[in-house]
Amino acid sequence: MYNPKIIIDLIADNIRKTRNPFGIPKSMINNWWTETPVRPEGDTLLFTGLMYQFTPYIEKTTHYLERYEDTKLADYMQYSKYIPKFIAGTVLALMTPGKEKKKADTIVRNIVNILAKSNVEFYYKPELDDYSGILLYDLGDQEGFVRHAEFVAAKLKRAGVRKIITVDPHTTYALKVLYPKYIGESFEVKTYFELISLRSKNGGARVTLHDPCFYGRYLEMSDVPRKVLANLEIECVEVINSEQATNCCGGPAESVSPKLSKEVLDRRVEELQSAGQPIIAMCPICLGNLKKSGTDVEDLSSLIARSI
Amino acid sequence: MTLVNPEFAEELERFGVNTALDCFNCGTCAAICPLIYEHFPRKMIRYIQVGARDRLLENDKELWRCLHCGLCTYTCPREADPGELILGLKRFIVSNWRRS
Ligand code: SF4
Ligand code: SF4
Repeated sequence: MYNPKIIIDLIADNIRKTRNPFGIPKSMINNWWTETPVRPEGDTLLFTGLMYQFTPYIEKTTHYLERYEDTKLADYMQYSKYIPKFIAGTVLALMTPGKEKKKADTIVRNIVNILAKSNVEFYYKPELDDYSGILLYDLGDQEGFVRHAEFVAAKLKRAGVRKIITVDPHTTYALKVLYPKYIGESFEVKTYFELISLRSKNGGARVTLHDPCFYGRYLEMSDVPRKVLANLEIECVEVINSEQATNCCGGPAESVSPKLSKEVLDRRVEELQSAGQPIIAMCPICLGNLKKSGTDVEDLSSLIARSI
Repeated sequence: MTLVNPEFAEELERFGVNTALDCFNCGTCAAICPLIYEHFPRKMIRYIQVGARDRLLENDKELWRCLHCGLCTYTCPREADPGELILGLKRFIVSNWRRS
């Protein structure tokens, strides 16, 4: 296990400087929109919260954290406050493979296509799309979270944003629950799959959903993706511990202890595999983490895009 | 020897920790927690109840094992909100680090 203080200080410092946990300029992380036609003005803002775009960087950092956990380097980091360059910043950006960045961009583009096919009107402005700050909240850096959230919300308010479409459970929870509670700013927030009205007979597939903690338990909306899939004639084979009683994939521990994260992951994967079907994730953290186990997993948006 | 601090629970309220006294130590949370680790989170809640501030500070890093997954909160028969208590303890510790 790493000393949480070092990890929290590093993340908080990166967020202060670059507004994201990796200390990489947003212009290097968020590029999917440059090759995708999206309206720049409108009534409802698509707010990705950048988390899908982060997945290749998360994979790279945790790869190194995993390698050095409980080694002399981890001890050295603790006492000298030395942070190896490959954990954050432009060195991390340069070492993260372009192929993985493209895969992450494809997920966001699929979501854009699904919304367009459902005749949902929305616009996108990259300058308004920021990280929500939820990791600071989860790690207990409440002051840091509030400061960052105020920055993000103030920008949205200045731009007159009232309605928002999100794409992942962490950002959704932050905007729907934490922003009103801790900084007194409210928006009308919907996740993309709440807005889908698509029917198809091409389905026929059977899958197992891994409900993320925030959608399943905190926001109690597990029925929504199941209805979306039912309309596409895709069958969900349930496992024990799903919906509100879902079991965490272990992802949230990956920055402090990749070993612990893997232990929790292995147990969850075994549960999910017991259904014998391909696994569907709907959270960038779950998706990246489940992939590490080598199991057959894809994002909900990829399955929907393929079926319509 | 552990020093017991009766004002500890009060000190923690500022960090959103205010349901610890609802817990009756049944252990449901520890049985269901995916960490499967030394009576976690029940043990930490017990430290609050008995005012074992020093004991908590000695073991503070363990709080970051918690995934904030909310399964314990979902199953707690007393609605003591164990998951949020752990998050509140993290806030307390971070604030202590920042001040020191
Ligand atoms: S927090 Fe709830 S589940 Fe855990 S020991 Fe206390 S009463 Fe039982
Ligand atoms: S919220 Fe933390 S303590 Fe509660 S079940 Fe999840 S990991 Fe365990």
